[in-house]
Amino acid sequence: MRKLLIIAIVLLTISSHAQELYSFTEPASNMAAGSIGLRIDNSIMKELNSSKINYHLIPEIRIGISKKLMIMGNFFFSNRNEQFKAEGGSIYAKYRFLSNDAVQRHFRMAVFGTISFNNSDIHQEEINLYGHNTGFEAGIVATQLLRKVALSSAISLVKVLDNGNNNKYEYGSKNSRAINYSFSVGKLMLPREYRNYRQTNVNLMLETLGQLNTGSGKYYLDIAPVIQLIFNSESRIDIGYRKQVSSNLIRTSPNGFFVRIEHNFFNVL
Amino acid sequence: MKKTFLFIAIIVSVTTKAQVRTVSLQASGLTCSMCSNAINKALKTLDFVQKVEADIKTYTFEISFKPNIDLDFDMIRKKVEGAGFAVCSFVAHIHFDNTQVLNNQPIQFQEKTFLPIDTTDQILSGEKKVRILDKGFVSPKEYKMNPFSVASPRTYHVSF
Repeated sequence: MRKLLIIAIVLLTISSHAQELYSFTEPASNMAAGSIGLRIDNSIMKELNSSKINYHLIPEIRIGISKKLMIMGNFFFSNRNEQFKAEGGSIYAKYRFLSNDAVQRHFRMAVFGTISFNNSDIHQEEINLYGHNTGFEAGIVATQLLRKVALSSAISLVKVLDNGNNNKYEYGSKNSRAINYSFSVGKLMLPREYRNYRQTNVNLMLETLGQLNTGSGKYYLDIAPVIQLIFNSESRIDIGYRKQVSSNLIRTSPNGFFVRIEHNFFNVL
Repeated sequence: MKKTFLFIAIIVSVTTKAQVRTVSLQASGLTCSMCSNAINKALKTLDFVQKVEADIKTYTFEISFKPNIDLDFDMIRKKVEGAGFAVCSFVAHIHFDNTQVLNNQPIQFQEKTFLPIDTTDQILSGEKKVRILDKGFVSPKEYKMNPFSVASPRTYHVSF
């Protein structure tokens, strides 16, 4: 893991161009207005105290409503409870309220919110609205593109509720709120020089993802390096690995691979 | 007051024969080809656009138009903004036919009004580069220095 981290940092420091199409977080920038993006997200997570592999499949649709507003919706499937089945879904919206653009750079800020539903049993203290818990989240994100580097940071408040099918969040109502925070850096490695839209882009990202439970004071901190390929300037594949760095929260399967397949349809609405 | 000025300006303006051949615009706020492609595809949806040639490296787009069609600069700008970016330079390549230009005297053609800024009196003939100076067509930095903004639809401050 340490080697992986060193390689990622070295590559991020030496290359040119930038990217902010992160895997685990959203930047302050939005989808193009009138465009639709389709995603298939796959998480392959290893359980901590068993040899079981949990597979989460999350198909997602993203819609650029206007230059400032985008929404997305998804469904959660997983095999965590022995049998592979649908467990819920979520709706997300992001509103970009600040945009200072210059050639090859921008500073943008956006607010976002998520409402998530889930029917599966609750098996961890960590609050995760991406396929585990029912709840809602609201936050703010700032993204700086500086010609060769894209940096992004987000902070949000998350509130967990009991899941459907009478699955309670059993870690106390006092501990039902948390602060999520993230810091992401991304960089485009290839092509060295753009000639046309068919050139494959290779991006590297490094994301730091944290949660602090405001009731219990317990936390986790994860790190996630990602390699991303962009084809035809409209499709992409992300391959990432999320790894817990430190935590005192009960978590079932914090470590594992993430694979995203995405295609964008520009100006179809 | 502004409206009165504009009204007078239009009354005394020179109507001329001129044809917009191409527009080259530079977009700001992006580096990657997917972002550039979003702008490229957005520009292509405009019904008066014939062809868009993108230079991903310099973030510039050369737009050519269908013949004898009414084209709208603001719609071009809005397409770039809709894709999530901004226009920082907008230059129209216009073919003029012996048009006299006097500083601050409006020129009218194809339902557009140009208000020349800091221009020497001259006669325009052949293809000339016309730069739009209004808000949304230049970088925020340039706009801060020279805050021109469109007083009415399809009226633009320009430099030759």
